[in-house]
Amino acid sequence: MKKSHNFYGHGIPHVKPEDLGGKLIVVEGADGSGRSTQIAELVSWLEVSGRPTVQVGLKRSTLVSEELEMAQKGNVLSRTTLSLFYATDFADQLENVILPALRAGFIVLSDRYIYTLMARDMVRGMDPKWLKNLYGIAPIPDAVFYLSVEPEELVQRNLSKTATLDYWESGMDQGLSREVFDSFLKYQSAMGEAFRQLQKEYKFDIIDANRSVHSVNKELCKKISAVIDSE
Amino acid sequence: MKTFAQLNFPGRLIAVEGLDGSGKSTQIYLLKRWLEAEGIKVYFSEWNSSELVKSATSKGKKRELLTPTTFSLIHATDFADRYERHLVPLLRAGYIVLCDRYIFTAFARDVTRGCPPEWVRGNYAFASQPDLTMFFKADLEVSLNRILEGRPKLKFFEAGMDLRLSADPYESFKIFQGRILDQYLAMSKEFNFVIMDANENVEKQQVIVRKLVGERIDLKKFKRRSPLPLPPALAGSREEEKEIEEDKAA
Repeated sequence: MKKSHNFYGHGIPHVKPEDLGGKLIVVEGADGSGRSTQIAELVSWLEVSGRPTVQVGLKRSTLVSEELEMAQKGNVLSRTTLSLFYATDFADQLENVILPALRAGFIVLSDRYIYTLMARDMVRGMDPKWLKNLYGIAPIPDAVFYLSVEPEELVQRNLSKTATLDYWESGMDQGLSREVFDSFLKYQSAMGEAFRQLQKEYKFDIIDANRSVHSVNKELCKKISAVIDSE
Repeated sequence: MKTFAQLNFPGRLIAVEGLDGSGKSTQIYLLKRWLEAEGIKVYFSEWNSSELVKSATSKGKKRELLTPTTFSLIHATDFADRYERHLVPLLRAGYIVLCDRYIFTAFARDVTRGCPPEWVRGNYAFASQPDLTMFFKADLEVSLNRILEGRPKLKFFEAGMDLRLSADPYESFKIFQGRILDQYLAMSKEFNFVIMDANENVEKQQVIVRKLVGERIDLKKFKRRSPLPLPPALAGSREEEKEIEEDKAA
């Protein structure tokens, strides 16, 4: 496999891009976009085909995931703090899971990546330049797929799954509307807009995920095969 | 980077910086006591003290989980929490805010640990410049002795053991502190540090600190307009005092 992964910015102290082999594949999308389902299918497909695969996602670090969860429950963090807390969580997993896996030549499947974090912060009015510097620590993935689903469809999928809309996924901290239903629609369209803005710079592949699980999966497998077999 | 005065905040921020053992914490504590006694609205904030973030930081330190990057980010998170929830509202409300360490601590330490300076500075770009930054400069040997006398056991990150400078914590601590001092001195001009002679005795230093603060900040503007409200149990006694005073006046 081709070795080397460059970073978006300054990178991580003492980490050399040429030591990072493997493949880094990112799937982005809102809750209800079918992201988790697709990732489970992809892991199974990759492992069956004999590719060692590691999964990462947001809020899963040893260092701060519990504290982040606790702080979110109380909704007491202001936006810069929340942003840096998530960045710490990301950096911890980056250094302890993603980079070692890439060094070992594994395929890393990331259930969301810096783009979700940046989009959330942009919607909350954080400066995109500040975010770009902050996430200069992130390696550039080999492929990024954004599962795009209309907010109206997301509502239906979330309600049919859990009969409720998540506080944060509805952007209820934003005061967009007192009613969670309206807030969800407004927040998710703002997130969609932020992703489209990020897409211009980070060039990820927007996948129409209003379709069935199967047809989205077929498209992902085809595109990922091309990335893996590229060298 | 603008100061809070330049940004038209009614409050003012005073920061102290320096190596461990430079005596800065003693000086800012004595400054706080004086301002309080003068009836000035004052608030004190310490580096790495946000309730929310502290448990993660201490876990990271105890288990030696932190890398230069996560060390930097978790301290930035801690600072952001204190900055947004305490410092900014207090400065808007016309307080004098005293900070034992400010963003320059991160600039010096994180860069010594190998983080790119532009990255660290960028992450703290949301914070404004203090209205007065006093840098307590003691001879390296003096600082080291103060710390090493009082506390024979050095903590892992405090000694910079993560940098693998030396297998001996004391040796590592000395090299690490020396490098941090170099970083501080290199940014001293850029951020308008007032260099304080921390080899001088504590009382003399405090005289200089108070004089400097009095010259730089028009303190009478920061007095409380009315005494602090007392808890109900004590409120009665203040009423009585007032009556007695009124009687005297009559």
